[in-house]
Amino acid sequence: MTWLAEWAAYLPQMMSGLGVSLLIAGVSIVAGYPLGLLLSLMVSTKNLAIRTLGLAVVEIGRGAPALVILYLFYYGLPKFGIAFESITAACLALIWNAAAYSSEIMRAGIQSVPRGQLEASSALGLAQHHTFFRVVLPQGMRSAIPGLMGVAIQMFQGTSLAYAIAVPELMKSAYNIGSQDFNYLQIFTLAGLCYAVISMPATWITVFFEKRMARHT
Amino acid sequence: MTLAQIADGQLAPRLGIKLDNISKRYGDHVVLDDVSLHVEPGTVTALIGPSGAGKSTFLRCINLLERPDSGTIQVAQHTIQPGKDVNSRDLAALRRTVGMVFQSFNLFPHMSALKNISFPQQKVLGRSKEEADERSMQLLERVGLKDKAHQHPSRCSGGQQQRIAIARALALNPGIMLFDEPTSALDPEVGLEVLAVMRELAADGMTMIVVTHEMQFARDVSDTLVVMADCRIIEQGDPRAIMSDPQETRTRRFLRAVLER
Ligand SMILES: Nc1ncnc2c1ncn2[C@@H]1O[C@H](COP(=O)(O)OP(=O)(O)OP(=O)(O)O)[C@@H](O)[C@H]1O
Ligand SMILES: [Mg+2]
Repeated sequence: MTWLAEWAAYLPQMMSGLGVSLLIAGVSIVAGYPLGLLLSLMVSTKNLAIRTLGLAVVEIGRGAPALVILYLFYYGLPKFGIAFESITAACLALIWNAAAYSSEIMRAGIQSVPRGQLEASSALGLAQHHTFFRVVLPQGMRSAIPGLMGVAIQMFQGTSLAYAIAVPELMKSAYNIGSQDFNYLQIFTLAGLCYAVISMPATWITVFFEKRMARHT
Repeated sequence: MTLAQIADGQLAPRLGIKLDNISKRYGDHVVLDDVSLHVEPGTVTALIGPSGAGKSTFLRCINLLERPDSGTIQVAQHTIQPGKDVNSRDLAALRRTVGMVFQSFNLFPHMSALKNISFPQQKVLGRSKEEADERSMQLLERVGLKDKAHQHPSRCSGGQQQRIAIARALALNPGIMLFDEPTSALDPEVGLEVLAVMRELAADGMTMIVVTHEMQFARDVSDTLVVMADCRIIEQGDPRAIMSDPQETRTRRFLRAVLER
């Protein structure tokens, strides 16, 4: 029971950390998904140069651990005279991460649109951009929703990496509190609960969407 | 008002189409071998033949969903040689002139029935939303589905979806309609709803080319019966004459197989 009392006392500080975590996750998703769409188009294009560039960005984003990218942004780029605040570096690294993972999900979604939809559009004489933006993309995105929600959860949990460059996010708040009173067990349990309270309902919603979509197709 | 009048805004541009020496191969596999077909304005042509004969491929070559390797297509004042470069103006004109209905309907699942029919009108013909919706509602009423206007396709039966698909194609004022086994995915009774719409369209004088296994429809409605087998047209002419007295053994074998089914 003393845990509960202590948690209540820590909560305000933890909440400000959680706010920062949610902010970073939000920025990485809001900026990362449109970039992911762009990357998925680049990877699908016939132009070799554009496709190669797109592939490189995607493969590095997925292949390198997010922490490596984070360090490159924060410690590496100042070598070239480009310095970021720690929170900016964290956002940029996670944007790259989100863009790379979401691009593959969106590409799969777009490819899952039945050929008949393209044929009907051609037969009706619809222009290519109308076919893509009004017929293919809405359907492809719809089937990408569960995967994109999964990436969003992954991004939220990934914000804990920003701790490594001293961003005052949830883990950093927990560590600060813990190092005052040396009650690491309580505080990191609380941190874990904070992540779970956000991630678990998000996972349930994802599963709900997956089921609903399985029923409608 | 009749279907065709609604479809083309009172002035039926009854068009014929001439296809000459159409050939198509996939790799080494010849699918169409020098196929020619002339369709007179306002007539119905039924295309029958065994599976794999190349019927769908031929139909899809007409509006260039499939690009033939050689041959010529003449429709309205356009002559298109698909073996050579086809400019986008000719392609757009061809697609506007020729409407197509698919076996699997291919309605846009994320749009209501009304939107399915209005959206292409707005984008292809540049109609305003009000104009397009008005035309769509007329067509929906005509195919007996006015009450389905605001439903999504997944809420409609197969027969209803196919009638919506027909309305969608008609909304663009095609001079010619292509049908690729429009009732094959449907239960027989439901197929009748669709065939009824097609009969009405034929009676209104729409030029139609219909790939079908519905022998009764082919006999009663079509003006010309075309039999395809092994990548070519083996026989064509009056449907009753061919059905009662086929000239080719291949035709006889095919007809016996379908009629005894
Ligand atoms: N994209 C493709 N690539 C390779 N071969 C193809 C392709 N499309 C069709 N074919 C082949 O072309 C031949 C003719 O096919 P098509 O679909 O035109 O026949 P069909 O007469 O419509 O048959 P069905 O009655 O079964 O619909 C078949 O042998 C088929 O395997
Ligand atoms: Mg076929």
